[in-house]
Amino acid sequence: MAIILGAGIVVKLVLLLLLTFSIISWAIILFKFFQVQRAKNESERFMDFFWKSKRFDAIASQVDRFANSPLTVLFNEGYSELKKVVETDSKSAGSALSTDLGGVENVTRALRRATNSEITRLEKYLTFLATTGSTSPFIGLFGTVWGIMTAFEGIGKTGSASLAVVAPGIAEALIATAIGLVAAIPAVMAYNHFQHKIRVLINEMDSFTTEFLNIVQRNIAGK
Amino acid sequence: MGSRVSRIDTGAGVSFIASAVIHLAVFLLLTWWGVFFPPHRAIQETYYVDVVNLPAANPRSGSSAQKPGDAGAVPPPAPAPPMAVPSPPRPAPKNLTKGVKPTDPQESAETESAFAERMAKLERNSESRREESVLEKLRSKVKAGSGTKIGTPGAGGAEAGSRYADYIKSRLEDALKVTNSYTTKNPEVAVRLTIGADGRLLRINIERSSGDAAFELAVRRAIDLASQKFTAPPNRTPFENGFIFKPKGISNGTSR
Repeated sequence: MAIILGAGIVVKLVLLLLLTFSIISWAIILFKFFQVQRAKNESERFMDFFWKSKRFDAIASQVDRFANSPLTVLFNEGYSELKKVVETDSKSAGSALSTDLGGVENVTRALRRATNSEITRLEKYLTFLATTGSTSPFIGLFGTVWGIMTAFEGIGKTGSASLAVVAPGIAEALIATAIGLVAAIPAVMAYNHFQHKIRVLINEMDSFTTEFLNIVQRNIAGK
Repeated sequence: MGSRVSRIDTGAGVSFIASAVIHLAVFLLLTWWGVFFPPHRAIQETYYVDVVNLPAANPRSGSSAQKPGDAGAVPPPAPAPPMAVPSPPRPAPKNLTKGVKPTDPQESAETESAFAERMAKLERNSESRREESVLEKLRSKVKAGSGTKIGTPGAGGAEAGSRYADYIKSRLEDALKVTNSYTTKNPEVAVRLTIGADGRLLRINIERSSGDAAFELAVRRAIDLASQKFTAPPNRTPFENGFIFKPKGISNGTSR
């Protein structure tokens, strides 16, 4: 630890910044890990429940059991919009479901809006991981360059360029790059991992939207 | 808009605390590691043994440890009686062993006595050289001193200026050992220094330089370094002298 305590003020500030980045990155990694894991597990359970159920109102009464699944939100939004369409149609001139595809479009828009909001929720904070992954090595490099400049200044003042004089200053400077990489590598790995997981969830949401609209359209066309 | 679903997305704070704890744990682990498992030094310390002054009862025994009874058994400068050596570590001289089996006990005794004689001779020579050098130092001291404070800035007498110049030269030489650096083969810089009555360096005048920038810089640094320790000249009179700096040392120039 003497290598950190012996560094200059600029290098110390760089190390503090990198430490902050690292702490926040790991907080996001942990948070996202549990969030995505919950979303994935509850989506699977919700889909099982969805296909086993015969009626939308029965599903709607149980959605709280799968609160962390993005599909639940989609279903909730779609079902609410569908109810509104049906209520409006039944009130208008006695011709039930006369709006046909117009009502389906309303539901489609509601589902698209819900999908977008869920994607935003799932991707929240991921930009910080990307920023940490791309900038931390450069911040560390800045600390190293600054540290080496200071070390050479010291060498110039003492007039001695032996290894014993040069090596500690260089080692103190290089620690900044090392910490920068330590902060960046997990952030980049986690960012790629979560991007993949979220892409899978988005695909699931798209599939569910299609299925939901198919069911709605079948029912409207059948009446 | 539909009815909202209650979510458990409140883990951000907990994650932050967990992350901070993880970092603290890693920091403590590294500290602990650094304390209890310091990195091994790449360069081993080298111990030099002064073989000449080794306090051994018998230099040929191979150990510096003295036995309690051998306290006064250091080889005397006078011719010592032949020592009984059980097994000489190096081969005996050729003229003694030529044509004779080394296992012959009579010949072996002769070899040992010859070796002991040579050892005593070497010790006598060494002792006489040491005495000679000490005497030489004393003679030179008596010759130069004659009751004054030799080589000190407070020395009185007519030669005070030259002694102060020697003192300054000595300080500069010490400093040049620290700052010495040069790129050409035999750089040389002639500098005239003016020192005030209070011992402060008033002026540095480089009179001649061989063009080696590194050496000139080293000289300037040596002067800066040495001037921090200058004491006042004798009789509080300003002092001025030229010095010729070379990588191997400094010689006095002319004083004014």
